[in-house]
Amino acid sequence: MADCDNLSAVLHRALDLRLEQRPIPEPGPGEVLLRVLCVGICGSDVHYWNHGRTARFVVESPLVLGHETAAQVVRCGPDVSHLQPGTVVALEPGVPCRRCSLCRGGRYNLCPRMRFHATPPVDGTLTRYFVHPADFCFRLPDHMSAEDGALLEPLAVAVHSCRRARVGPQSRVLVTGAGPIGQVSVLVAKAMGATHICITDINEGRLQFARKLGADSAVCVAGMGVEEAAAAVVAAGGPPTAALECSGADSSLVTAIHAADAGCVIATVGRGSLEPLLPVPLLTAKEVEICGIFRYANCYPAALALLASGAVNARQLISHRFTLEEVEEAFQAAKSGVAIKVMIKVGEKS
Amino acid sequence: MAPGTENLSAVLYGISDLRLEQREVKKPGDHDVLLRMGQVGICGSDVSYLTKGRIGDFIVKDPMVLGHEAAGTVVECGSKVTNLKCGDRVAIEPGVPCRRCDFCKGGRYNLCKKVFFCATPPDDGNLCQYYLHDADFCFKLPDHVTLEEGAFLEPLSVGVHAARRAGVTLGSRVLICGAGPIGLVSMMAARSMGATSICITDISESRLQFAKSQGADAVVLVKPGSDDKLLADAVEEQMGGVRPDITIECSGAESSIRLAILATESGGVVVLVGLGPPEVKVPMVDAAVREVDIRGIFRYANCYPLALNLIASGRVDVKPLITHRFSLTEAREAFETARTGAGGAVKVMINCEI
Repeated sequence: MADCDNLSAVLHRALDLRLEQRPIPEPGPGEVLLRVLCVGICGSDVHYWNHGRTARFVVESPLVLGHETAAQVVRCGPDVSHLQPGTVVALEPGVPCRRCSLCRGGRYNLCPRMRFHATPPVDGTLTRYFVHPADFCFRLPDHMSAEDGALLEPLAVAVHSCRRARVGPQSRVLVTGAGPIGQVSVLVAKAMGATHICITDINEGRLQFARKLGADSAVCVAGMGVEEAAAAVVAAGGPPTAALECSGADSSLVTAIHAADAGCVIATVGRGSLEPLLPVPLLTAKEVEICGIFRYANCYPAALALLASGAVNARQLISHRFTLEEVEEAFQAAKSGVAIKVMIKVGEKS
Repeated sequence: MAPGTENLSAVLYGISDLRLEQREVKKPGDHDVLLRMGQVGICGSDVSYLTKGRIGDFIVKDPMVLGHEAAGTVVECGSKVTNLKCGDRVAIEPGVPCRRCDFCKGGRYNLCKKVFFCATPPDDGNLCQYYLHDADFCFKLPDHVTLEEGAFLEPLSVGVHAARRAGVTLGSRVLICGAGPIGLVSMMAARSMGATSICITDISESRLQFAKSQGADAVVLVKPGSDDKLLADAVEEQMGGVRPDITIECSGAESSIRLAILATESGGVVVLVGLGPPEVKVPMVDAAVREVDIRGIFRYANCYPLALNLIASGRVDVKPLITHRFSLTEAREAFETARTGAGGAVKVMINCEI
């Protein structure tokens, strides 16, 4: 290797993010050593940076942040055949145990021994070099940029929720919340053929952006009660047959239940209160289904296909760009609420 | 049928105001059959209309005949009826949909917005002597199946629909919350659909003992104020150290819904059958991060044939659940027994052949 620089963005505790050198690891069997090209920042990264924890995970020792990654293969460990040095890849950040019944059943996102980038205690990818299992690296076609590759991660969340909500042609989709996850959900729902996409939020600017991305109607629900909001949604595009809850607000979930057509599937991506009050008799009378969404499984290939074919243009989501050295400013921008997707450039293709 | 024929009917006029009165006997239309009513079971919803005059947005505004779990005998067929003839004993599926909307055409006719449903206001039920119904929603009973069993197809269909929507299949590990009639039929349906481990919970020890006698592998008594996480652990222990992958919640109670979600394995399914208060606290974060799906259940669709097959083949025996019997003239006492659960009542059956 030309240099031994492995600069890494390491979170020591809340709001204490330091740029440090770390040893460059060696790839073992089935693994590859990667040069990181770019890393997107997600709300969960910002949350760890801001609070040092989430409800379930606590930063107890220094943790490298970042999990939305595109990288270039530097060296392959033994038993790696589908990648070569120089291949540019997108990284699926979660490596499950591969041995439990959930892994065997294909729902590896629920593996209790999942090791996920930047979820304590597993280091993330805001670093120059790191090692990853080759089967969780997805080769990017030449016409796709590294930034596209980093966008596969949020795109995979949207693919998983659209699949679970059975979005397809004839679907009337309600997306509640026009943050980055809501925006990417609009893109994927559209690409999956939804007939009508209605988006809600309390912020007009975000709603306008969602319309630009392809949402057919937008409802500003600021100051509305749930029944009023539901009526507005139904008036805009008809009662939804699928809903993607991306806001984390309890009222959004309740609104979706009220607006839902009979048989609607509501995928909950956002996290709200631990035990919200839900109108259960309404849910049962309409045979509504609530499918929780926890990351994704077997979605990277589909997300890659959507980007590679041009069915989804995710690059328009990138609102801010920084270098690894500017990581502190990057997190400030992400926290400020004005950014959609913040992209951090870590390295160059060689 | 001659005009003036007796048709004594149990009519709800208002809260606690149930009257037996004569009602007109109508002539069957082209696709209808006229039935001499045989046996009608009482459901919790019938009792709710009697005691509260409403269920949610369904409000009893005009006098309404009660009864929807029913079987009878065909006495006259409309001109286009081909599946039945006079003398056939049938089970009556009480919900007749519009047949034209997308839900009907898609097979989910239970969700039809224009469905006619016996004893849901404003539609009359069939707790009477003569009743008219669409012939294709009447299912002929083999000779060895009694009219009481025919009436039982209705609640059994609720159990079949719940088990189907929950995805019960060979090897399923099923938790059932609530050992009332619906919990019991859900258990029977789940077993016949391949469940190999069934645990049932309830707040009543005697109901649990009865459930055990009807085939539950394990029971867990829920004491008021119990810690739900400890209960979930108790369920897991009773099920041989593995959590259920499917839970059928039959009580509607908030704490039971909570237990249902906490106890279910990651990636599993909870179906909500029970009707409870208008707003319920639901542990959504736990359900969401473990992808435990929550599905609402409303009545049933395309279940009567399977329910009939289960009874006719002997795979399911509902007779032990019929604990109290009355005649139509004793309708008030029948409802009082159903309301109080006196004498360990599970299913109260009313004989309309008086």
